[in-house]
Amino acid sequence: MGREKARRLSGSRHFRQRMVLATLTSTAITIEDIRSGGAAPGLRPHELRYKPGVIVGGRDLEHDCGVHRGIGYFLEPLILLGLFARAPISIRLRGITNDTKDPSVDTFRMVTLHMLKQFGVPLEGLELKIESRGAPPLGGGEVFLRAPNINSTLKAANWVDEGMVKRIRGVTFSIRVSPQIENRIIYAARGIFNRFIPDVHIFTDHRSGSAGGRSAGYGVSVVAETTTGCLISADATVSYPNVDEMNEESESPELTSPEDLGVQVASMLLEEVAQGGVVDSTHQGLLFILCALSPPDVSKVRVSQLTPYAIETLQNIHDFLDVKFIIKPDPNSNTVTLKCVGAGVKNLARKTS
Amino acid sequence: MAPADGGGEQPHKAHRQHKSGAKARKKKGKGGGGGDDDAGGEKKNPKAFAFQSAAKAKRLQARSAEIEQRRLHVPIMDRSIGEPPPFVVVVQGPPQVGKSLLIKCLVKHYTKQNLSEVRGPITVVSGKSRRVQFLECPNDINGMIDAAKIADLALLLIDGSYGFEMDTFEFLNIMQVHGFPKVMGVLTHLDKFKDVKKLRKTKQRLKHRFWAEIKEGAKLFYLSGLIHGKYTKREVHNLARFISVIKPIPLSWRMAHPYLLVDRFEDVTPQERAGDFSLSGLTSLADPCPLPSSAKKRGLRDKEKLFYAPMSGLGDLLYDKDAVYITLNDHLVQFSKTDENDAPKKQGKGPDLGKGLVKSLHNPRFSLNEKLEQSSIDLFGTKSAAQAKDVPANQNDQGDANISEQADGNNISNADTLESNEKSYSECSSDSEHDNDIQLSDHEVGLREKVEFFDGRLRRKAVSANFKDDDDDESGDDDVDSEDSGDDQLSEGSVSLDDNEEALVDSDDETGNNSKWKESLLARTLSRRSANLMQLVYGQASTKLDNIRSGGNDSDAEESSDEDFFFPKGHKKQTKNESTSFDDMDAEDYSKFFKAELRDWSDEDLIKSIRDRFVTGNWSKAALRGQEINENEEDDDVYGDFEDLETGEVHTSNTYENRAGNGDAHKQDDLAVEERRLKKLALKAKFDAEYPSYIFSLKEEIAIRKQMNISELDELDEDSRVEVEGFRTGSYIRLEVHGVPFELVEYFDPCHPILVGGIGLGEENTGYMQASLKRHRWHRKVLKTKDPIIVSIGWRRFQTTPVYAIEDRNGRHRMLKYTPEHMHCFAMFWGPLAPPKSGVLAVQHLSNAQVPFRITATGWIQEFNNTARIMKKIKLTSVPCKIFKKTALVKGMFTSDLEVARFEGAAIRTVSGIRGQVKKAAKIEPGDMPKRKGESTEGIARCTFEDRILMSDIVFMRAWVNVEVPTYCNLVTTALQPRDQTWQGMRTTAELRRAHNIPIPHNKDSAYKPIERKVRKFNPIEIPAKLQHLLPFKSKPKDTPKRTKTPVENRVPVLMQPSEKKTYAAIQQLRLLKHEKARKKKIQDEKKKKAYEAEKAKTEQLTKKRQREERRVRYREEDKQKKRARR
Repeated sequence: MGREKARRLSGSRHFRQRMVLATLTSTAITIEDIRSGGAAPGLRPHELRYKPGVIVGGRDLEHDCGVHRGIGYFLEPLILLGLFARAPISIRLRGITNDTKDPSVDTFRMVTLHMLKQFGVPLEGLELKIESRGAPPLGGGEVFLRAPNINSTLKAANWVDEGMVKRIRGVTFSIRVSPQIENRIIYAARGIFNRFIPDVHIFTDHRSGSAGGRSAGYGVSVVAETTTGCLISADATVSYPNVDEMNEESESPELTSPEDLGVQVASMLLEEVAQGGVVDSTHQGLLFILCALSPPDVSKVRVSQLTPYAIETLQNIHDFLDVKFIIKPDPNSNTVTLKCVGAGVKNLARKTS
Repeated sequence: MAPADGGGEQPHKAHRQHKSGAKARKKKGKGGGGGDDDAGGEKKNPKAFAFQSAAKAKRLQARSAEIEQRRLHVPIMDRSIGEPPPFVVVVQGPPQVGKSLLIKCLVKHYTKQNLSEVRGPITVVSGKSRRVQFLECPNDINGMIDAAKIADLALLLIDGSYGFEMDTFEFLNIMQVHGFPKVMGVLTHLDKFKDVKKLRKTKQRLKHRFWAEIKEGAKLFYLSGLIHGKYTKREVHNLARFISVIKPIPLSWRMAHPYLLVDRFEDVTPQERAGDFSLSGLTSLADPCPLPSSAKKRGLRDKEKLFYAPMSGLGDLLYDKDAVYITLNDHLVQFSKTDENDAPKKQGKGPDLGKGLVKSLHNPRFSLNEKLEQSSIDLFGTKSAAQAKDVPANQNDQGDANISEQADGNNISNADTLESNEKSYSECSSDSEHDNDIQLSDHEVGLREKVEFFDGRLRRKAVSANFKDDDDDESGDDDVDSEDSGDDQLSEGSVSLDDNEEALVDSDDETGNNSKWKESLLARTLSRRSANLMQLVYGQASTKLDNIRSGGNDSDAEESSDEDFFFPKGHKKQTKNESTSFDDMDAEDYSKFFKAELRDWSDEDLIKSIRDRFVTGNWSKAALRGQEINENEEDDDVYGDFEDLETGEVHTSNTYENRAGNGDAHKQDDLAVEERRLKKLALKAKFDAEYPSYIFSLKEEIAIRKQMNISELDELDEDSRVEVEGFRTGSYIRLEVHGVPFELVEYFDPCHPILVGGIGLGEENTGYMQASLKRHRWHRKVLKTKDPIIVSIGWRRFQTTPVYAIEDRNGRHRMLKYTPEHMHCFAMFWGPLAPPKSGVLAVQHLSNAQVPFRITATGWIQEFNNTARIMKKIKLTSVPCKIFKKTALVKGMFTSDLEVARFEGAAIRTVSGIRGQVKKAAKIEPGDMPKRKGESTEGIARCTFEDRILMSDIVFMRAWVNVEVPTYCNLVTTALQPRDQTWQGMRTTAELRRAHNIPIPHNKDSAYKPIERKVRKFNPIEIPAKLQHLLPFKSKPKDTPKRTKTPVENRVPVLMQPSEKKTYAAIQQLRLLKHEKARKKKIQDEKKKKAYEAEKAKTEQLTKKRQREERRVRYREEDKQKKRARR
């Protein structure tokens, strides 16, 4: 029938997005040449064939995310799949909760879940509980994600007003280090934020014992909330290097001091605020995918300058969903307005009575 | 009439009202006494009848609220923007009921044109903003299903003199499943009634039957009769009025899935499998039947009364992407011949050139044939373009109307006049093209002539790459380019644009080289678009442009980091994670973006730069930030219309008309908009006050959403709008589909229009679907599991083998061998997935053979299901081979010890009801039983029971096995075979048996036989002596010795006293008397009875005779009436 041939793709780039979009559009894909030139070739079978079925979802799922990537890496596609599943999803993920490469679970909890509200997903069903924290290299963290499945479609978003920052919130964490470190981070960050706005609250979250995972680390995730309900986030973590990097760099690297970390995160957040847009640079990709999945109404969003990841996301969306965005730069505010007519992806897996 | 009684095979028990008993008395009391008095009393003294019970008041209130709520519907968002597509009116009815005649009359009414025959869809412009498309519904079930899927209004023609036929009910059922459009009944053949009273009665009867089927008060239209072979003008006029006021109902399937009706084909291809096809080309075409200009006037001018019926042999104009065709008659071919002779004279050139051109045309002709081999079918929608609303297009359309009308009358003169209009071309080129015409028309005499109509001249379309090259080479003329542009102009229908055209053509002639100006134009237009960033993201622009752009950006990027959202595709970003580059196929996947370096935010300047982004900053400045975008947008709209001469599309931006057109209009518009807004607000407030309901808030939300969509999309220029949104509803488009079987063209029948439907994401895959299905109550038989049925779901129609099931109380899906009689059941089948909630219609055969009702079952899709398993009950039986106390070894249930291990702990039961459990596999020791030859000791299970079982018991276990649903799906390909043939799919087992004369397999054990129960003989109970001893005396067996003599009362005679004797004798006499009397009475009674019987038999015979007479008379009368009615 129809397009029997699988869509051919090559390279491991955008593996996550390709899999998610292929699943949501039920397009069969074949990925070839995964790290073919690299020293360490990728998946054992040199090409991957994937024929999506029905997203089942369900309760009491468990997954060990390993210690190569953070849980944030898995949460991003998972939440999309969860929305289009047959049954509401609730899953327990184990691995690294906070690392340097992927968005931390705190950011996910404080920002990403709230983003779905703009697309008509009720916040009630969404939940991310951090049972225990884990930092690289050994991980040992555990989070519990609960997400609802949507009834038919998302809602198109018209989200261009970025508003003004009205408060800054955040959370620091420290595992297997002195709890005092968190105060030092907060002190440094507040030092910068106080020049802009007084309403800054950064909470501390010290975990010890089994809730503290198996490696030491500390970090912070801050969120700026605007008058229109946009959430701009930045996060940073200090920990020992990942298992992948450990082999490459034999000597233990210089770790950032808590004060420097505080300053760094504050600067990152201010940089994001300065750039404008309704979401920060990390969430651009997800935002575009949500826009493209929404019903065939016009979705309009404003973001800061497009990140490479966002651009590639746009290309992937164009490939899979055939949705093209009208991208209009606004040089005055230094932002970009994107418009699209959604593909109207429906939750076909959900049963009707 | 419909077999409402369910046919002969299903007699339903009639409802019988109680005539006596408590219920009857209760009802009687209510009906008789209460009614009138209550009403009277209530009127006289209403206060006495106020609610006395709070519960009752609550109940009544709840009831009224419920009725109120039932009236409400969740509003549906209609996403179609712009001019509506033609309103599809499907005319359906049994054969010979007058469908074609009705269409002809309606077309005549709308356009004043006579149609000779009705073939394929006919589009007419019926009003200033309305087009109507008439479609005659074929009588086979396929055609009916197709027509029902696209109908906006169904006219059900009913032969009034005969009554309803099954076709009508079938069609109604199909429509109910696939989304119920508006329906109107039309009664014809009413002139066959001679008797007015009878006519009135029939009308009434049919109307009420029609109402029962649709709804109370459904419109039934009466066409009283024919005048000169046509329906009366007045009635047709009234019918047209009815059609014109009906609004289409938004149907969820059609709103979610694009569809169009094909009205023309082009090419043929080698054989392919049928199925789903993806589009390989999609272009918008000029509407052959556009709406008139929006100028304020009443009614339609004659010129605007267009109609388009490409398959009916009328409307000789055919519009294409790059050509317009006119159908010519034979005498026109001759006209071309004469022209050929003239041509050299006019030209003043030798006939050699003509020959050369002819040769040049011969070559491409063959190459075109070759092309035909490998290329495709082009399908054309009749839904017309919504974007044909700008003024020039409208003027052009009027011009077209001229052409078409003239073409109807006289083609020759038409061609002449148009030729004289043509000025821009040198005589040479125009004549040479005429030569081409002639040659081609000679070439394929007997074929249907398709001649291109190009700038007032008639030519054969032969557009191929070879042809262009040849032409250029030989004549050195650049008319190819001008042709293209000119064609396109005409496809937009340009007569009024002649001047422009001339200018353009001239410029073409001057430049000679086509590529240069095109390039520059392209570059200019591209550079002006806001799509720069889009090009960077999507990488569409030509390399040259891309270079320019990226070069510019590089220089920008050097200046400040703020500009670097203009980084090009393939430009490496120098960031912290350098591995994330665009070229790296295997780059790591990070959503987090790392800034190169962080600035020092304690710096005052920096702080100042974003101070206003915080609530502590300046709010008014921050508010400006949002507005800048709007100004920007206006700047972007400097360019308005431009025309891409390469493709010939005229790009018009609505914003241009609205804004840049004139400032005053803009202001006025603003005012008007403001005024409208206020008005709307006032209305809304009023509404809200009246109906503060959830539904209205939903409606409002939808209205806002739609308004936003329109405004956002109208901002875009035409090209990018189409790119983002796709073609709007009602566009007239050309589809190019590759790999379509050639039979589609070979067996194409215009009376069976082809419907092209689009499907959504994830609907092209095949899989298991679970549907809720119910056998139609008029279908005579129940359906059998795994018997093939043809289902129609969404656009699709395929044959599949469903497995029926029902849900048990524990959620298990239990297989059903046959569908239940009057219930829904699940049907699980394999096929192309359709979204949940789509309707399912099942038929068993596609043949028109006279089955009482062709629709087998209806239902809807519940879910896609890859995992849900259908189970079947299985009973494993065994017999005990050794019995211990409560333990027994059973054999025959399992075949191996492994199987026994699998079922350890399973519940078992004997027929007599003793429950037990499987324990473990067991072996029979050699000594226990004589081992028979070949008997294996495998699979013997040790089981325990709640009581000792007998060797004669049968032990069984109830288990459930998974039933595989066959992955069979066969698309119905009726379009790929002659229409008079019946499509033959997989046959049912019963049909195969019948065809091959195979008897139904019969298991003699399954036959029911009278049960023979032998009387069991039980031995007398023997109570052990020990036990006897313990029993109470009462229960002890008594040991009475046998008597040898008779008892004394039997031996001694009785002697009576004389008085006793007397009494005895008297009693004896009395008894005798009584007996004698009784005997006499009996004899008399018998005699009487006999007489009575004889009398009764006599009268009965008489009655019977009379009744027979009466019946005969009545039947004769009825038959007469029936005959009269049929006439």
